[in-house]
Amino acid sequence: MDTRNLTFLFYGFLAAWLIVLLYVVSIAARERKLRQELDRVKRLVETKEVETRDMEQTREQTHTV
Amino acid sequence: MTPLVSTKSTPESSAPPAVETSRLSPLRSILAIAAKDLRSELRTKETINAALSFSVVILLLFSFAFDPASDQVREISGGLLWLVFLFAGALVLNRSFSRELQNDCLDALIASPASAAQLWAGKALANYVLLLAIEVVCFPIFGIFYNVSWTAQAPLLGVVLLLATWAMTIIGTTFSAMTVNLRLRELMLPVLLYPMLIPPLMGAIQLTGTIVAGEPIGDNSIWFRLLVAYDVIFTLLAAALIDVLLVG
Amino acid sequence: MRQKLIYIFAAAAAVLLAWNLYKIFLIEPDELNQGAIYRIIYIHVPSAMTCATGFFVALCASIAYLSRKDLRFDAVAASVTEVSWVFATIVLVTGSIWGRIAWGIWWAWDPRLTSMLICWLLLVSYLMLRRAVDEPNQRARLSAVLSIFTFCDWVIVWKSIEWWRTQHPGPVLSIRNGGGMAPGMEAPIYWNTLALVLLAACLIMLRWRQEGVRREIDALRRFAHAM
Repeated sequence: MDTRNLTFLFYGFLAAWLIVLLYVVSIAARERKLRQELDRVKRLVETKEVETRDMEQTREQTHTV
Repeated sequence: MTPLVSTKSTPESSAPPAVETSRLSPLRSILAIAAKDLRSELRTKETINAALSFSVVILLLFSFAFDPASDQVREISGGLLWLVFLFAGALVLNRSFSRELQNDCLDALIASPASAAQLWAGKALANYVLLLAIEVVCFPIFGIFYNVSWTAQAPLLGVVLLLATWAMTIIGTTFSAMTVNLRLRELMLPVLLYPMLIPPLMGAIQLTGTIVAGEPIGDNSIWFRLLVAYDVIFTLLAAALIDVLLVG
Repeated sequence: MRQKLIYIFAAAAAVLLAWNLYKIFLIEPDELNQGAIYRIIYIHVPSAMTCATGFFVALCASIAYLSRKDLRFDAVAASVTEVSWVFATIVLVTGSIWGRIAWGIWWAWDPRLTSMLICWLLLVSYLMLRRAVDEPNQRARLSAVLSIFTFCDWVIVWKSIEWWRTQHPGPVLSIRNGGGMAPGMEAPIYWNTLALVLLAACLIMLRWRQEGVRREIDALRRFAHAM
């Protein structure tokens, strides 16, 4: 009876720490996904900035012509 | 609408007369909105029919899960009945705001002179009437299917019905407003609604079981106080927060 | 600064937890009726207290959001609710394991576990609502209102399940037979609560930072589409 008691006590503590560990892993995974998305959106902003700059340059050139 | 101004401007009437905006009193706004909802529902009867059929189906399914003849069922009859009301009620409550989505009716209602609280109160009133109607029809059906007599202590049962249904109505109408613009509206409303309704459900089940069994209320009066407290607290809370939900 | 705070909290939590483990397993004697399994109370009860505290903090953050309309409060509310939900899961699982030994069955509708299950469901409903809304301001608004409703409801649930219990007496997960634990046994519960609260604070701050990054992404995306 006592060994069963101790076994389940071990299961209890193991379960608690496993849940915390799973949550930390999910936070880490979300962090990675967020970083990727942030990089992608930053690149999107840069390409858009380059595009608008090019458009403005061509518009200036057509004006001066 | 521009005010009509006479072309002959006399000294006394050089200023245009002020336009009277007809403003309904809050109560009349609420009643107008409730009447609109009830009238549109009574014309089509789609929600009532769906809810009533659903209730009968659930009662039928319950009869397979439990043996209707046994005494034990009489003990849990209160619980069964209120579960049926909860499930059927979700259909009614879902329709409450979602029926306004077509043709931007919801935006029009929010933009109308009626405040968000009046809109919510009107819809809550209409839902209350519909839910009570469904419940009143279900009682005799349930009595027949499960051989339970409801007439013992009927006034007390009526009070329980009024209190618990109001709890369902306020939370349901408020959450219907909350979920109206979500894509998974039909799924989200029950998920949000049912855990919230556990206290009044417990009270209703306990009181219904006691009343129908013909026993005196006695210790169970605490559930009456719970129902009243729940109704008061959440009516005030909903009235305070509905503006945030509907308007932003 | 916040990064340093996370490290400090994590270190403090680790120290406290290690010290408590030592106390729990090596110092405390076995309980009279239940044997060794009662030691699970040292995770079960502190997790419950952490979860309840979190629920309350989320309520305060939600009210703060509704009055200030600052999305940072919404980020706090979301992070705290999520971490509270994790701790609610721990309470249910450890309570169930404890019940398996104490009562012989995995679940017996013990009043406190039932209240905790309802709390778990209310927290899940909050998290599901957040998933269902894409627009940040609408999401913040709806979640804040739901947070207020669910907290008030849970307080009422807590009380009414106690009344239900007096009418339908059932098993209760406790070793307080008659009103108190031996004085030495009670202290580690509070120390462990502190440790778990510190751990929760770390997790919340990590999540909170992620919410900030998400806001930055949303803003950049809006900027990109506006150009």
